[in-house]
Amino acid sequence: MRISCPYCGERSLDEYLYIGDATVTRPDPAGANAQADFYKYAYERTNPAGAHKELWYHSAGCHAWLVVERDTRTHEISSVETAKDVALKRNVAKGGA
Amino acid sequence: MSASQTNRITGKGLIDRRKPLRFTFDGKSYDGFQGDTLASALLANGVVLTGRSFKYHRARGILSAGSEEPNAIVELRAGARREPNTRATMIELFPGLEAHSQNRWPSLKYDVLSINSLLSPVFVAGFYYKTFMWPSAMWEKLYEPMIRRAAGLGRASDEADPDTYDKSNAFCDVLVVGGGAAGLMAALTAGRAGARVIVCDEHFDLGGRLLSETQLVDGKPAHDWVRAAVAELRAMPEVQILTRTSVFGAYDTGTFAAVERVADHLPKPGVHQPRQRLWRIIAKQCVLAAGATERPIVFGNNDLPGVMLASAVRTYINRFGVMPGKTAVIFANNDEAATTARDLATVGVRVAAIVDSRPQPSAAVRDAAKTTGARLVSGVVADAKGRIAVKGARIVPAAGEAFDVSCDLIAVSGGYNPNVQLTTHQNGRPQWNETLAAFLPGSSPKGMTVVGSAKGTFSLPDCLAEGAQAGAAAATAAGFSAHVPQVPKAEAESYGVVPMWRVKEAKHKAFVDFQNDVAASDIDLAEREGYRSVEHVKRYTTLGMATDQGKTANVNGLAILAALTGKSIPETGITSARPPYSPVSIGALAGHHRGKEFKATRLPPSYYWAKEQGAVMVEAGLWMRPQYFPRAGETDWLETVTREVKTTRSAAGICDVSTLGKIEIQGADAGTFLDRVYINMFSTLGVGKARYGMMLREDGIVLDDGTTARFAQDRFFMTTTTVNAVKVMQHLEFCHQWHWPELDVQMASATDQWAQYSVAGPRSRELLAKLVDAPFDISNEGFPYMAVAEITVCNGIRARIYRLSFSGELAYEIGVPARYGDSLIRALMAAGQEFGALCYGTEALGVMRIEKGHVGGPEINGTTTAADLGLGKMASTKKDFIGRVLAGREGLKDPSRPALVGFRPVDRSARLRSGSHLLPKDAGNFASNDQGYLTSVAYSPMNGHWVGLGLLSNAASRMGEIVRAYDPVRNGDTLVEVVSPVFFDPEGERLRV
Amino acid sequence: MSSLTLTPTNALASALNSSRSSVAIAVLDGLSIAHVAARKGQSAALAARVKELFGVTLSQTPRIATGSNVSFVWAGPDQWLAMARADTNPDFERDLRGKLEGLASVADQTDARALATVRGPNARHVLAKGVPIDLHPKAFPAGSAAITHASHIGVLMWLSEADDTFTLACPRSYASSFWNWLTESAVEFSPAVGE
Repeated sequence: MRISCPYCGERSLDEYLYIGDATVTRPDPAGANAQADFYKYAYERTNPAGAHKELWYHSAGCHAWLVVERDTRTHEISSVETAKDVALKRNVAKGGA
Repeated sequence: MSASQTNRITGKGLIDRRKPLRFTFDGKSYDGFQGDTLASALLANGVVLTGRSFKYHRARGILSAGSEEPNAIVELRAGARREPNTRATMIELFPGLEAHSQNRWPSLKYDVLSINSLLSPVFVAGFYYKTFMWPSAMWEKLYEPMIRRAAGLGRASDEADPDTYDKSNAFCDVLVVGGGAAGLMAALTAGRAGARVIVCDEHFDLGGRLLSETQLVDGKPAHDWVRAAVAELRAMPEVQILTRTSVFGAYDTGTFAAVERVADHLPKPGVHQPRQRLWRIIAKQCVLAAGATERPIVFGNNDLPGVMLASAVRTYINRFGVMPGKTAVIFANNDEAATTARDLATVGVRVAAIVDSRPQPSAAVRDAAKTTGARLVSGVVADAKGRIAVKGARIVPAAGEAFDVSCDLIAVSGGYNPNVQLTTHQNGRPQWNETLAAFLPGSSPKGMTVVGSAKGTFSLPDCLAEGAQAGAAAATAAGFSAHVPQVPKAEAESYGVVPMWRVKEAKHKAFVDFQNDVAASDIDLAEREGYRSVEHVKRYTTLGMATDQGKTANVNGLAILAALTGKSIPETGITSARPPYSPVSIGALAGHHRGKEFKATRLPPSYYWAKEQGAVMVEAGLWMRPQYFPRAGETDWLETVTREVKTTRSAAGICDVSTLGKIEIQGADAGTFLDRVYINMFSTLGVGKARYGMMLREDGIVLDDGTTARFAQDRFFMTTTTVNAVKVMQHLEFCHQWHWPELDVQMASATDQWAQYSVAGPRSRELLAKLVDAPFDISNEGFPYMAVAEITVCNGIRARIYRLSFSGELAYEIGVPARYGDSLIRALMAAGQEFGALCYGTEALGVMRIEKGHVGGPEINGTTTAADLGLGKMASTKKDFIGRVLAGREGLKDPSRPALVGFRPVDRSARLRSGSHLLPKDAGNFASNDQGYLTSVAYSPMNGHWVGLGLLSNAASRMGEIVRAYDPVRNGDTLVEVVSPVFFDPEGERLRV
Repeated sequence: MSSLTLTPTNALASALNSSRSSVAIAVLDGLSIAHVAARKGQSAALAARVKELFGVTLSQTPRIATGSNVSFVWAGPDQWLAMARADTNPDFERDLRGKLEGLASVADQTDARALATVRGPNARHVLAKGVPIDLHPKAFPAGSAAITHASHIGVLMWLSEADDTFTLACPRSYASSFWNWLTESAVEFSPAVGE
């Protein structure tokens, strides 16, 4: 499998590390149900057969974390964004910093 | 021509008769020519018996002329280069080639174990499963060695492989797999458009079937057209031709694996020439023109030497100029019978009969029978006759009585299987085509187009046209402007296959999988025993599971099973393959990464100095670190390590700690960032100070620990453990980029930038004072515990100094730019001589940290929390940090969780073993009594006995209790006392002086 | 004083440079190197300052920008390795930190990397044995840079803008393994090797 790093270009799988689900975000640690929320965040995962947003790390390249949308059945990749950009957009959406 | 080559045909073939080559087979000397394969040269010399089969030790000869060969499997070369299970059909003849037949003893002709053949009713499918069942000990001692001897697939060399293997990466616009008619047209078309093209072919010449047939292309012999096409390709700078190269795997996103047999055709590789090269090819587009493989027909004794695929017969005649027999019977279910008969007759082989299994032999076959004078029979060959070679054929006509025909060659064609393997490596499903009685490519991977006979196109003009179209389309898809050229003219070919899988009239064993000795009767048996799924039948009978991947067997086996179960072939299953398409040597997969180069090694700055000192080295992750520094007269490591500890604690000891991960963390928010990743506070750390920190994973488990120093308001210097350096960097990048991208933080790895030495012991200050440039004040007042500073040493070399201690002694760490690391260790040793200083290794480092109760890798093991390690109080309650919330889970706060304590043996002379399980004193050694284990142990020179750290349930309330340290692996069973984990200087007075 | 400067040459280096070998490998030494990472929101200001100070346009893509005194090779998003001759820039990191104050974080990398150059008609064949990226002139033209690995050892590499020379920088501690790989990969082509 090859992933197109937005910075480095298309690189082979052996340059990347996989961490998993990019649809979960770190909950508010001060939230009322922080412990339950964190439990879900740390452990509960769906295992979709099809499109899945995942976090990959370009470990042998530019060290960018990426949000990769991949079809788990075919390994077809439909989009790659930098995690930083996704996170900044998420912050804006939350009205945060 | 050598007189010995009795079957060589004068004036025929593409071999180079000016270059005769001598070779030996089973010790006997023969002659062949440059351009021969071992198989063609053996046939030229009349050698038809080439080996014994795997299970029944039946006589076997040459079936094919390609990589599908299941029978002519030989041991090649001698000594360190001896290689088992090579296919005689793929071995190019070279001078002095030495080959041996396999699976025979004492000789090929008189094989003792061929008695297995007489016992064959016993050796049926599932025999091993049924027979060698118990007692299990018998497996190891008796059954396995016995089976291995009887069923050996040749002997690998016992010596190290003397050759080198290479790996390479290649990129192209269009990869063409297979250099036959379709592949050549595709490559020419794409190449002419300017695309970067790689053409791979597993044989040593491009041309494929065109080299083996007598067709004309553009009015010239096909091989002349091939020569011109190859010359044109060679002249194109962006085209790379890789012959002797098998593309064996197709992976995601246009990634292909191929192995090039660079020097397999030479007696030995040239100077500095690799033996083989593994290619990773990244292709935007792929044209799969891998051809098709002819199927045998399953009839009695169809494995006898002299039974040969019809296409192979034509190849030996036309390409190699070899007559594979004197009198032939042709048995086919398609029009290949006609071509084969003509080619045989042309070179003077008598065609005794053409046996056509189709209801009506075609006009082409009738015509060929007439021109060659062959007797045309509508019917089947039921059995081959002969013991170790074909002597005749028993023919059963569709109407009339069976009769025998004398012959020494049976040319058989059961139709063709397109080589669809590479379309299935990514889960593509081939589709059954009733007309062609074959699986054709179903969906192929993105960017792959299948052409020619690999797609089921069996007529030459169509193959050429498809190749040209696919080449143009692939180049266009890769961004070039390509034109479909005028396709060379060739005559259309007829095929007309009508399935004939298995000859019911066979009286003898009829083989489906030659290499694994699976007969039709084995499939019958499997079916009777209830194995209906093709996947089960395959595993039970081992059909298709040999190194040939069942290229000649799978479809026949499937068809036979389908007939038995009354289902259609597509209902019964499909033939999907996994990589590798053909065998790949381990050497090629390893490439450069052998021996010491198996993986990269990292060398610390003092490495070469330590080697001079005779240090014993130890691997720590990728690092090679000095483990201890033995001196003359010391008898074991423990003696050395004890001396190193005592000297450090009484005088001074130096240790290379450069392997610790080091990260420069800068930015306006660096302090805030560290507060969020460490459990304790760092934003409050003063400039010029360092602090021990611990970081958790989000699940509350400890990730790593280390010391972080602050050199400026916005500039921190973090250290991590040696093994976790990469993981911590990844974690920090993750936290920054994904959790808190709004923070102003920049990071850079500095692990390799600094050579860093720990200088420990009561004399360490005096020692360092000799190196530190004035006016820096290294006194306890001027530079107290946990202070850090940027200074210079040895007349102006910039350095960083840290007042840190892992050993519990007065200690410093001194860092200089890594290029001065070698020089610094020499300077430190010179300066330390007057104090009796020494250099210590990782063992003494470990002993001293255990004596001090500091946690290390065995304690930070991915299961422990900060509280488990007695460091729960470090966690700040004033802020959030990674892992805080989940570390507060009830389960992780349970006091019965094993927590860190110290242990000492009740019998002070007893040795402790790490990994020993901790059981209550009088409890039995059951898993249910397990309460923890010893994580780290050491002989403590300061205590004069062994001490240990361990994780024990309810540890806090058990001080002074005696428990059992039970070590069934090493027969250890020691009573130990639960004590504080700090065994030396519990008040920490020594490090603050 | 004359405005013309003289530079010394090493006799064996000249021999290496004129070698007829199809590939030449050399150790590259004598550079001061610093990691430069833009502070948050300061990318444009940093680029302007670098342009003003060194006459170099920082590349936002994997390329090297060669200046007369200092070159900047892309080293990740908003990050560069700045390189200058060590003999004339002994305190490169500190100088740079001062000059880029508030715009970039600077960390010394002079000792963190071991550098080698590879050039000649077979340079790409040698590198292809471990470098998994496309080095064809169309895909990796002069001035290109990449962070990738060579035989599983991380490298930052670039192709000189001036001549067809590749420079590879690996972490210092990997130097021995890296060198073994590089020389073994080149041996097939009878390389010229020098310092």
